[in-house]
Amino acid sequence: MSQFLREYLTVFWFAVLALLLAGLLLGISALVRPNKPTAQKLLAYESGVDPIGDGWSQSQVRYYFFALLFVIFDVEAVFIFPWATQLERYGTFGLVEMGIFVFVLLLGLVYAWRKGALRWV
Amino acid sequence: MISALVASDFATPHVDYHALAPEIVLGVGICLLIVLDLFLAESRKWLVSTVAGLILLGAVLPVVTLGVIGSDVRSMFDGRYVIDNFSLVLKALFLLSGYVVVLMSSRDTEERTPYQGEYYTLLLTSIMGMVMMASARDLVSVFVALEFLSIPAYMLAAWRKRDSKSNEAGMKYFLLGVFASAVMLYGMSLLYGVTGSTRLVDIGQAVTGTDHLVGVQVLGIVFVIVGFAFKVSAVPFHTWAPDVYQGAPTPITAFLSVASKAAGFVALSLLVFLAFPAAKSVYEPFLWVLAAVTITVGNLLALKQKNIVRMLAYSSVSQGGFILMPLAVAGTGDARTSLRAVVVYLIIYAATNLGAFAVVMAVSRKTHSGEIASYGGLFNYAPGLAAVMTLFLASLAGIPPFGGWYAKFGAFKAVLEARTGAAYTLAVIAAVNTVVSAAYYITLMREMWMKPAPDGDESPVRVPRNLVAALVITGVATLAFGVLPGFSGYGAITGLAGAFGR
Amino acid sequence: MDILVFVCAAAMILCGALGVVTLRHPVHAALSLVLTLFGVAVLFVAQNAHFLAVAQVIVYAGAIVVLFLFVIMLLGVDRVEDLHAEPFKVQRPLAIVSGVALAGLLIAAVVASQHTNVAARGAGLPGVNPVRNDLHDGNIVALSKDLFSGHVLAFELTSVLLVIAVVATVLLARRSRGIDAAPTDGQAT
Repeated sequence: MSQFLREYLTVFWFAVLALLLAGLLLGISALVRPNKPTAQKLLAYESGVDPIGDGWSQSQVRYYFFALLFVIFDVEAVFIFPWATQLERYGTFGLVEMGIFVFVLLLGLVYAWRKGALRWV
Repeated sequence: MISALVASDFATPHVDYHALAPEIVLGVGICLLIVLDLFLAESRKWLVSTVAGLILLGAVLPVVTLGVIGSDVRSMFDGRYVIDNFSLVLKALFLLSGYVVVLMSSRDTEERTPYQGEYYTLLLTSIMGMVMMASARDLVSVFVALEFLSIPAYMLAAWRKRDSKSNEAGMKYFLLGVFASAVMLYGMSLLYGVTGSTRLVDIGQAVTGTDHLVGVQVLGIVFVIVGFAFKVSAVPFHTWAPDVYQGAPTPITAFLSVASKAAGFVALSLLVFLAFPAAKSVYEPFLWVLAAVTITVGNLLALKQKNIVRMLAYSSVSQGGFILMPLAVAGTGDARTSLRAVVVYLIIYAATNLGAFAVVMAVSRKTHSGEIASYGGLFNYAPGLAAVMTLFLASLAGIPPFGGWYAKFGAFKAVLEARTGAAYTLAVIAAVNTVVSAAYYITLMREMWMKPAPDGDESPVRVPRNLVAALVITGVATLAFGVLPGFSGYGAITGLAGAFGR
Repeated sequence: MDILVFVCAAAMILCGALGVVTLRHPVHAALSLVLTLFGVAVLFVAQNAHFLAVAQVIVYAGAIVVLFLFVIMLLGVDRVEDLHAEPFKVQRPLAIVSGVALAGLLIAAVVASQHTNVAARGAGLPGVNPVRNDLHDGNIVALSKDLFSGHVLAFELTSVLLVIAVVATVLLARRSRGIDAAPTDGQAT
């Protein structure tokens, strides 16, 4: 086993532990709890009020837009990270390049803001 | 300590700002358009189209100065981005056809397009991808350029948000385009796996199609070619083309059928001539079949069409087959002749097809119909339009002395120079198809010249100025390329296009 | 041990991919995609590509799948589509045949070239800079170097591409302010 896989062994054990723990808790409660389902009990819980419609309802398009903005700045972070860890290596050149990159992305944000896409109406 | 060790091996890459000027102008221009759109009152949005046209012409300027200064090759980023004569000619082609599309889509023409700012921003972005494609000599650059030119195009195809045809067009184009990208990306990763480099010239040295890795190499080559075959709508990857062309706004249809297709062929030529030159036993048969099937099927389907845009769509599929022809013999024949044939065909086809779509737009302003039958009597009430349309149709059919004739001549010459049985067969197939294709072009001509107007309405067509300008540019280009193939400047251009810089 | 890691990750990827194709409920399919993406991340780790693995989890498993889920919710998962109506009867068998053929081709190609030392290929070529796996952060060093030397133009242009994504989404998602509310005739060419 290579050196570095050994380092990831901890991650592996934690994953196993998490799965075991969750399985154990759910499993024990499933064994112990009484199970008498009625139609009332099986209703989806909606803050104590009678649920309206199905649980899988159509969501607003705005959620999608925010998710997309999130993806874009996520990608930006992925690009910034290698640069940030090697900051001094790329000096002014790297700074200028990254400055242009971030500036253009900000333009996208300004666009979304001015077009009112960030408002929740 | 480690970071100190490796810190020394980074040298700031040399950036030749003159060579990058077209891209820089376009990039700054795109940002400018976005800002302009944000802060311009709705009543003054027409300014955007003017600015977009100026940006495109501004980007042509450095292309011209680079061409005038000399034929030396400017190579950047370890040869990953190269400005040579090939790329300069094609950059000029992309920028100018983009300009014609801007002329065609100005506000007088289109039925008041909403979202002017976004429209031109996306159009310019797509053109920027093409400009980049002409210089890309590296798989990563090729892929980024391809996405750059495709993603705005998906959106542009779906421009009429309320029109279900346009939505269908955008959806089909997007799904098939993304699928093609995925296939191509897989091919690229295989090629990178067998060579360890993303530079096309390195791949060209390692991909020989002979050693142990031949299986993976073949798959890589085929997948990459399939990806671009979608882009150039070669049969059997053409199914999106007619629906997308019909659903998209007409200027965008013209743009897709000309510029986007040309960019696909540029990428194909780059791959064939730089990345796979040693693997001709792999790509040649594949491209041969693609070319033969594309020409034939495109023509046969075009014969049956009743709608002019669909007819032009299938005709453009078939024309794409003619451009594939020289590539299919690029290895056995003379590489320079083949490349020149491709470039010349792309230039002439661009002028002709853009012109044909401009006429379609002009006529539909009056008839509000896309049926071929609605062209009846065009000569009586709009003799000018009928004459120009005849010019474009004759050029597409390859009738001398119009441009298309010279383009086809170049393609046939390149094929015949290969002197193999397969090449002769391909030439025969293409020759038969040229005759067949004349049938549907002539049907339309007969409609225009001989038939009466279907509804008897013979009031003249008012053609807006920008459309006239587009018609003049494309018409003059179509004529000039055909009548004056020996004319000095033009000869020099085609000569220049013959060689790649490394 | 390396083999074990590979087999587990490959099984994850395959199960996830099968789930994406076969599961009836689109939300379940999207969640099954997460499994595939995690498997790929594990493979990246096994290849010493730590940064790629992290990026894979953050961007793909995190952000992109969330985006997918929003699209699915947006379309409304409660609407039942009849997937059994087929316009062309031959399509399904044809797809199965070509899929199997493609898989066979791929496997054959890989098997045929199994004895070649792929790592040594391209070593002498000028454009190849080998990733130094001995360095702990060799991955990120090589990546950032590529980003700032060979591919700096592609990197810069990616930002414009991301902005275009914003523009196109705003355009698609925005409720039109009466501009295109008027019915356009679907006839215009």
